[in-house]
Amino acid sequence: MRILKIKLQPKWQNAFSHLLLALLVTLAFSGVLYLLRQFIDPLPIALLYLLPVGLCATLWGLGTGVLAAILAFLGLNYFFIEPRFSLFVHQSQDLIVLLVFLGVAIFISQMVGRTRNSLAAARARELEAVRLYRLSAELAELHNDRDIVESIARHIMETFQARQVQVTLEGKAGQETFLYRMPDEAISTQPFEHMHTLRMPLQSPNETIGEVRLWRVQSGQSPMEERLLQTFGYQSVLALERSRLIEAETRARVLEESDRMKTSLLSSVSHELRTPLSTIKAAATSLQSKAVSWDSEARDELLLAIDEEADHLNLLVGNLLDMSRIESGEFKPEQRWNALDEVIDTVLNRMRTALRRHFIEVDVPANLPLVFVDDVQIGQVFANLISNGLKYAPENTLIRIRASKRDEEAMLVQVSNQGPPVPAPDLERIFEKFHRVTAADRITGTGLGLSICKGIVEAHGGRIWAQNLPDGFAIYFTLPLTWQGISPHIPKEHEPSATHPSDR
Amino acid sequence: MNHQPHILVIDDEPQITRALRTILTARQFRVSTAGRGEEGLALAAAQQPDMIILDLYLPDMDGIEVCRRLREWTKVPVIVLSVRDSERDKVTALDSGADDYLTKPFGIEELLARIRVAQRHAIQSQGAGQPVIVTGELEIDLAKHRVKHRGEEIKLTATEYKLLAYLVSHVGRVLTYRAILSHVWGPGESEHVEYLRVYVRQLRRKLEVDPEEPRYIINEPGVGYRFITQD
Repeated sequence: MRILKIKLQPKWQNAFSHLLLALLVTLAFSGVLYLLRQFIDPLPIALLYLLPVGLCATLWGLGTGVLAAILAFLGLNYFFIEPRFSLFVHQSQDLIVLLVFLGVAIFISQMVGRTRNSLAAARARELEAVRLYRLSAELAELHNDRDIVESIARHIMETFQARQVQVTLEGKAGQETFLYRMPDEAISTQPFEHMHTLRMPLQSPNETIGEVRLWRVQSGQSPMEERLLQTFGYQSVLALERSRLIEAETRARVLEESDRMKTSLLSSVSHELRTPLSTIKAAATSLQSKAVSWDSEARDELLLAIDEEADHLNLLVGNLLDMSRIESGEFKPEQRWNALDEVIDTVLNRMRTALRRHFIEVDVPANLPLVFVDDVQIGQVFANLISNGLKYAPENTLIRIRASKRDEEAMLVQVSNQGPPVPAPDLERIFEKFHRVTAADRITGTGLGLSICKGIVEAHGGRIWAQNLPDGFAIYFTLPLTWQGISPHIPKEHEPSATHPSDR
Repeated sequence: MNHQPHILVIDDEPQITRALRTILTARQFRVSTAGRGEEGLALAAAQQPDMIILDLYLPDMDGIEVCRRLREWTKVPVIVLSVRDSERDKVTALDSGADDYLTKPFGIEELLARIRVAQRHAIQSQGAGQPVIVTGELEIDLAKHRVKHRGEEIKLTATEYKLLAYLVSHVGRVLTYRAILSHVWGPGESEHVEYLRVYVRQLRRKLEVDPEEPRYIINEPGVGYRFITQD
């Protein structure tokens, strides 16, 4: 950084200060030597005069060194070679000494100065390498365009002392152009007219993916800066391309996964569709058959089976629809305030025929607070949980629904049945897709019901879990009692005065 | 009057139109069918049916659009058919002038009940509404602002009465949350479903024999409420 600053100062100012420095050092030295002239022979004085030359060359570089060499030559001549205080030389011997001195001084200052300059260059390269290393190390950890662009802008800003950096990324297929400005975006609206702009395209082998622009006070750029800026550009392009590749790969993997899921879903669904279809087909063809005359009870039984299985198919289709929407991330519950008892009553009413072989008990106090849910979706959760109970619990057993306020934030709901317990390791896995505890041949099901319940409950910000009870099995879940932290407010109204006491 | 009611069914599924034609003809209705929206609109104009059953998903145009265009010139009762998970469409259809809706798949009794309600409502809207509604053990006198249960008067708050009166005056028909809220609480309150939930709960407690198995005020998930009579 320091080196860069010196290099970037205007040249004339530089030269002038160097002249001044060389003059000062040489004069001061001449003064000291002049004061000490009684104690030193004239001969070593010439050697001692090499000192300011070396000093200047070391401290301020080649130019100053050469300048100091000429000044030292003049000083030596003026102060110490007879006749003193004049630049004349009488003895040819002295002239030789002076000329040799000049030669040696210039040679030394050149040597020292060059070493110094190459040292400076080496330092600058090292700094450049460090900056590059930092940038590439940082970029290696970043995986999205925004972070990468931000990191590039920050590094360019520091390295090139820019006032403002702007990175533009061309939109990927159908996306908008991405623009990033540093520092504050508000400041950037002021035009930077008085500044100098540097532009660098971000070029990948096959296309231009964007552009970097920076504004700074000084004009032009040194070859080193140009090189560094270009290398930054290459690094940025690499990082951006890498992040895009990773993104594409993730997308491909997700697609592959969902493809696999669809395949197993299809086979599982076609299996489950066939069971109710077989019942419907069998019942309908039996009723058509002329060979048997059905008594009215048997007839009703067959018709009921058709009706019930059609409802079952409908629930399954609803689940499939929900599953595909949950999977694709399109699932957004339409939440509004609902009375849970009402949601449950509606579901039970709809499932009345299917429930006739089980007992059902609803323990939901009528004064419970409202829940903020999508009533259609939560209805589907109850339908799935109840249908699960019907499937796994033996006939004439109890299915129980309970709800209570857990705390200010959530309602706790329990749906239990008296079916067999679920082995402990499966308690979590039953919420996975296509996971069924019982062998497929005994009980039909896609294993979709519970995973949909999980998807719906979680989309409402709730939690769902399973637990074995002493006499059965229960699913618990929570539902929100607040929306944006607020409970519903109902305007109060006075009960009408008792004008007809007899009504009590 | 020996006039068979004429129903126009607009649905692109031939199985549905065929089944409805068979079932409704057996119930003494005259049935015509259309598979497309434009065709349906043309038939409605040419035949002037007494009622239209309209599927919301048609190949050529949106059922909601059909509904809007019908309402530009006729008050014929329209019952829309839709599926679960499209509550928003149902509500839009009702707000665009449809009289009622039915979720596919539906039982035929449900459809016939909807048809009866729509017929009755069409007759009522021509004359004055019934001032007294008697259903089960409930007697609601809209003219005298009086509600009786088993002959005993029930005391309702002003809002409770307003809500009940609105539901009852549209007996059998579904009313959307928005319609009820803006009628009872005012147009500015049409989003406050929470008021409705609480007041429906209060009303049920006062009217229903068993508030947990409501027989009068029926919830239509995601859409609204309907008041039904026991006949």
